[in-house]
Amino acid sequence: MTVVGALAGGFAGTVVLTSVLRAATELHLTRIDLPFLLGTIVTGDRRRAKALGYLAHFLVGFAFALVYYALFAVLGRRDWWLGAVFGLAHGVISGTVLVNVALPLVHPRMGSELSDATTNALLEPPGFLARNYGPQTALAGLVSHVLYGVIVAVFVGGA
Amino acid sequence: MSISGMGRSSNGYAPLRAYAPIGDGRSVALVAEDGSIDWLAWPNLDSATLFAALLDVDAGGFFRLAPAGPCTVTRRYLPDTNVLETTFTTASGVARVVDALTLREERLGPARELQRRVQGVSGTVPMAWVVQPRFGYGRARTRLGSRAGVPVATSGADALAVCSFGAGTARIEGDTVRGEFETSPGSRGVVALCGAHQEPLVLPSPSELDARLEHTIAAWRAWATGRSYRGAWRDPVLRSALALKLLVHAPSGAVAAAATTSLPEQLGGERNWDYRFCWVRDAAFIIDALLQLGCAPEAEAYFWWLMQATQLTHPRLHPLYRLDGGTSTTERVLPLAGYENSRPVRIGNAAAAQQQLDSYGELLQCAWLYAKGAGGLDAEIGRRLAEVADLVGRLWRETDAGIWEVRSAPQHFTHSKMMCWVTLDRALALADQGLLPDRHVDRWRREADLCRDFIEQQCYSDELGSYTRFPATTELDASLLLGLLAGYGDPTGARWHGTVAAVRRELGHGPYLYRYLGQDGLSGTEGVFLSCSFWLAEALARTGSVAEARTLMDELVSLANDVGIYAEEIDPATGAFLGNLPQGLTHLALISAAAAIAEIEIAEAGVADAGVAEEGRP
Repeated sequence: MTVVGALAGGFAGTVVLTSVLRAATELHLTRIDLPFLLGTIVTGDRRRAKALGYLAHFLVGFAFALVYYALFAVLGRRDWWLGAVFGLAHGVISGTVLVNVALPLVHPRMGSELSDATTNALLEPPGFLARNYGPQTALAGLVSHVLYGVIVAVFVGGA
Repeated sequence: MSISGMGRSSNGYAPLRAYAPIGDGRSVALVAEDGSIDWLAWPNLDSATLFAALLDVDAGGFFRLAPAGPCTVTRRYLPDTNVLETTFTTASGVARVVDALTLREERLGPARELQRRVQGVSGTVPMAWVVQPRFGYGRARTRLGSRAGVPVATSGADALAVCSFGAGTARIEGDTVRGEFETSPGSRGVVALCGAHQEPLVLPSPSELDARLEHTIAAWRAWATGRSYRGAWRDPVLRSALALKLLVHAPSGAVAAAATTSLPEQLGGERNWDYRFCWVRDAAFIIDALLQLGCAPEAEAYFWWLMQATQLTHPRLHPLYRLDGGTSTTERVLPLAGYENSRPVRIGNAAAAQQQLDSYGELLQCAWLYAKGAGGLDAEIGRRLAEVADLVGRLWRETDAGIWEVRSAPQHFTHSKMMCWVTLDRALALADQGLLPDRHVDRWRREADLCRDFIEQQCYSDELGSYTRFPATTELDASLLLGLLAGYGDPTGARWHGTVAAVRRELGHGPYLYRYLGQDGLSGTEGVFLSCSFWLAEALARTGSVAEARTLMDELVSLANDVGIYAEEIDPATGAFLGNLPQGLTHLALISAAAAIAEIEIAEAGVADAGVAEEGRP
């Protein structure tokens, strides 16, 4: 169980998480695009936003992998199912707090509950469980985060 | 009651002309001339209502603030704002009421706030106010109580505080909160409704209310000052811009078609629809109007929203999307009496499931206008638009429900075919500029030619000298004019001259136009469609009859209500408003026609000036 393993798991987990969400987008299940949402915090240029967003998304993926690593260390076990539980909790918190509430408040281009006629939002707010981006967004988000958690657990356990 | 005679009917309903909208970018309240707010959906424009007396005087809920006795009324918006000022003149004195949904400022305030401020002007005026909150379209259970001495109504996750200062003692009576007071010269009072949704109520002080109203007035004026229009109809254009801004859903940039649901197109009829959605068919008008008015941030927000919302159904388009970008618009009937007993009262809109081919043309036209204004398109959006053009290359041969969303059998509507041609033509233009992938331009060009051949051979009547509603008919349709406005064919050619004349002759009624006279799968009739009249004015200008266009515009701008607002339709016999209001498409059509006529006049004046200069040159 090493930090390197956690970081490798974070990388692989983020690849899978992003791919699952991208596939869900292609299947018209959701319109969520996490790298785009992150990148547009710093630029209104779509192309640059996506590039920066992917970078930021992987950094966030590494950071959460380290958090998982710390939790595994505290609990003294690193089962794949524990990773799945962490991923599930992570997905729920993301949908209900991080993306739904916190992101609109700090995102300069996203609408929020505070928006009114004096503001022009370029990005619609996600809504509870990001359902504004499509009714299946919550499911896609939870599945992708559970996979992320399992992958991090496997890499931590294997390294 | 009023100098304009807009009293209530025996059923208790005010004429639709009597309503003035106020809003904050999140919702819109409709204030009747007699001081009653009969419509307010909170927290958002497409939420369930707090006040819906407009659709059911008994069960809907309202907020009335007016003199206790007989009076006459004059109204205006405070200049360059969406803040309404109503002056009540009674036998004993004059009082003024200022109504606003206030805008957010830095300090802590309620999530939503409706202020009704009363000023004594002269003499004394006994005033009375009654708030009857009815959450959930009048169906949700509403509890009335008191918090820190402030009357509060609650229902589920919603709460409403009734804060009054200098407006008598607020008391709870049955399902109402009410008070009485008397104005004197210089006296000031305010009744504020402070709303909360899924959070605690914020109760403001009088000074905070004052500051927020001042901020609101200043913010609207700052926005209005930035609008650009060079032409003869500045006031109607600016009022239309302000009305349109009320329909912009601030969190997403979507533009609602209107602020209401189920206001009837025929009194007592079934043509009652929910317009609190964003229609793709309005896309080009919206972008064009926003760019013409110098609203680049709103145009950018709208285009981003449009491309995000349509992603879930890509490459197909739904005719309409929810303001939050969602696609679920399930239609339901509410057990409300309906405006003047016009039932059913619907929420949601089943038209979302229809195929409307014109929407694709509107999307590409919108993208083309946006690209011209913004100087480019994102590569991913370009790829998606190319896929839309690919789809239309296959779809244009199919029937559809058309722009009017008929509920009769689908047809090969000529306007839809014209907009399919526009789709392919704009895709070619954008590909030519390198903004769309050009792999399929040969196919787009071939299909555009075939589509045009179909229109010219099947959808034109030599007998009428006009394009027709669909092939093999002599029926006409005012939507044909949109083909001209979107750039189909040569506007100075004989076919468009003939079509404009035929539409005016066959569908015209004075300055008005009916949409069509044929079947649409619904019982009953309807009024004349106001936006069609503005399209006619623009079509006249674009086909060279500028003087006629100008005369028609002068007539049309006089058809607004006392504060410059339009509904969807008018009863040509009585001048009464029909349909939902404020109607975005009507105001968009006004802006578009006014801008087009001004542009043509300026160009002609430029040519004349150049001619004079040429002649005067030694």
